[in-house]
Amino acid sequence: MLTLLKLLQSLFRTLHSEGTPGQVAAGMMLGAGIGLTPLMNAHNLVLFAAIVLLNVSFGGGMLGLALFTPVGFLLDPLFDRVGLLLLEIPGLRGLWTDWYNIPLLPYTGFNNSVVLGSFAVWLVCAVPIYVAARLAVGHYRATYGHRVLNSRFMRGLKASKVYNVYSWFEPQ
Amino acid sequence: MSPRFKLFRWRAIGPLLLVAVLLVVLWLLLADQVARYEAATALEETLGTQVDLASLRLREAEAAVDLTGLAIADPRDPRRNLLEAGAITIDLDPVPLAEKKIVVDRLTLSGLKFLTTRATPAHPADPNSPAARLLRSTEQWAREKFQFPTLALGRIDTVKSLVLHPDHLGTVKAAAALVVTADSTRAAFDSSLQQLALKPLVDSTSALVTRLAQTDPKKLGLAEAATALKDVRQALDRVKQAKARVASLEQSAKASFGLLQQGLAGVDAARQRDYALAKSLLELPSFDGPNIGGALFGQQSTDYFQQALFYAKLIERYVPPGLQPWNRPGPVRARRAGTTVEFPRMKEYPRFLLRQGDVDVTAGGAGLKLSLAGITSQPALYGRPALLSATGTLGGDHPIRLTVSGLSRHFGASPMDSVVAEVTGVPLPAIGFPGLPISVTPGRSTVRFAFSLGAGDRLTGTWEVDAPAASWQGDSTRLAAASLVESTVWRVVSGLTQLRIRADLGGTVGSPTISVRSNLDEAIADRLRGLLGEELAKAEQKARAAVDQIVDGQVASLKARVTALESQALQQLPLQQSQLDDIQRLLDLQLKRFGSRATGALPLPKL
Repeated sequence: MLTLLKLLQSLFRTLHSEGTPGQVAAGMMLGAGIGLTPLMNAHNLVLFAAIVLLNVSFGGGMLGLALFTPVGFLLDPLFDRVGLLLLEIPGLRGLWTDWYNIPLLPYTGFNNSVVLGSFAVWLVCAVPIYVAARLAVGHYRATYGHRVLNSRFMRGLKASKVYNVYSWFEPQ
Repeated sequence: MSPRFKLFRWRAIGPLLLVAVLLVVLWLLLADQVARYEAATALEETLGTQVDLASLRLREAEAAVDLTGLAIADPRDPRRNLLEAGAITIDLDPVPLAEKKIVVDRLTLSGLKFLTTRATPAHPADPNSPAARLLRSTEQWAREKFQFPTLALGRIDTVKSLVLHPDHLGTVKAAAALVVTADSTRAAFDSSLQQLALKPLVDSTSALVTRLAQTDPKKLGLAEAATALKDVRQALDRVKQAKARVASLEQSAKASFGLLQQGLAGVDAARQRDYALAKSLLELPSFDGPNIGGALFGQQSTDYFQQALFYAKLIERYVPPGLQPWNRPGPVRARRAGTTVEFPRMKEYPRFLLRQGDVDVTAGGAGLKLSLAGITSQPALYGRPALLSATGTLGGDHPIRLTVSGLSRHFGASPMDSVVAEVTGVPLPAIGFPGLPISVTPGRSTVRFAFSLGAGDRLTGTWEVDAPAASWQGDSTRLAAASLVESTVWRVVSGLTQLRIRADLGGTVGSPTISVRSNLDEAIADRLRGLLGEELAKAEQKARAAVDQIVDGQVASLKARVTALESQALQQLPLQQSQLDDIQRLLDLQLKRFGSRATGALPLPKL
């Protein structure tokens, strides 16, 4: 377990860039996609790869995942209804039939009402999530960031490994 | 100068590859266990019973799966397994896997055993699973649709008082309903007759005829003659219309009386049912062969048919006809399962297909060949029916010979699921009879079973048992105190070693029919008729009298009312018709008289 933690820590250290509010917000937006949709589907591999490969904040992605996973559980009934509605629209049946018979695409689980509904809701909310996160991070850095960094708690925290997580959002 | 924005973080490729390697390692470590769990869970959910799977090994390079220790518990008896398979090898077609579709090129099984005893009882299936719900509904179907008479084996009590309440008799209800119908028929008839307004028509027309009869047409001018002629023609039209209305009323009255006569027949049928009800309250034994067959072996036969219907409905549930999108519950997960919709398309792979499965069980000189083909979740895509056949023997010293063939066709105009089986030399367990202190052990028997569920939920089935060495067991304590009927049944059956039973199923799922016969029926019936015929006749007479006492007056009054209505109407309408005929004749006469004058025709000389 310790080895795994160290591996992850080194991975985060490697991936971490002192991101701009935009990069953190973009990471949160992509992380929200993983959090809102059921985890064990192929599209989440694509989203994870995007968080890793694109020049967005990896920590922001993980924060988005952590924040939006419970939201996903809460909104499952809504996702179910939205997804089923989309799957049963006669005009889209041809599209779904094409996708259903394209190699690898069925592994995304797009033909499941919760997966499709949550993904569709995430697509609609992606830009608002980005904008809100960007404003929030910018506001935080401008107002509370320095105070928090200089607090006794943070000084203690900096000495610990937990600081690695906080440092993803460190002001530039 | 601000640094140039970079879209990609190329240095992350290394860690990403590391994650990929980690995933591969996890797959190698855990995939077999996860797949084993998922396979067992999916089978459990599909079949509605516990499924054990000792191991599952994925051979990714060969696109094959090896399973061992498969045991499927009997959903109706948790202490035994329906089927056990030692080793199963599944060779998959790798191409459809890319589309998340499973196409099995070949399935091979070994170490197959049927109906084995479980070491530990199976846990009950999730009561909310579709299969468990289906099992409950088919059990309920068997209970509700097949109610066999029980052999009432107490003393025939001709003295027993029989108290019937009018509310419990169908005759009373049917007669009361028919009285209402008769009254409304009478009201409708009277109203229709009144609406005809025949009297004013007859009066006014008679007055016209009288007036014209007193007038000499030769003394009238042409205009006056034409007016008289017009009056006659108008009167004639009115009379003809009235006659048509009377004829129409007669037709509808006859139709209504026909319905009333049908109602009377229904009342008579209800009375017959009330006789049967009264007889059942006296608990008289039925000596009809089919009733005895049903009472003795009805439950056994419906158990077989109910199981067959359960599996046929299960197949129907998971193998829908046609190519419409198909909704089914999503995967079990921490998140909501949702609904997974399948979008099949012609010339594509179905979601599941077993092209060919061969099972060759050879042990201790016995051999069984089982073959499966075309088993698919979307038969409309595959275009051929699923077939199952098995032939061979099982067991050692006393081999059981088995022949089974099954067909499932879920496409085209006549979808059908059917199975035909014959098992020879199978040791059947003892059969107990409800309420009787005896049971029969058929021993090694031949069982034939056929079942089909076709379009429109049409059912056909046969269950036959031929036991040449049956043995009978009686509860000596209870037999010592047995009634005459019970001891008679025991005397008849205890000397028989041959047992033949046949049950025939027909009708539809909503309205099934069954007839059960055995070689015991007539033997028991004849003996009981000889012993108890006179007492039974007395008791039946008593039951009829009890019903007649309540319903006789009501039914007689009803019949008198219907007859009176019918005769009154049938007398009244011809009278009206005759009056109109007379008037029409007189009008025709006047038409001739005034017709020649009005047209100014010259009288022809007499020849």
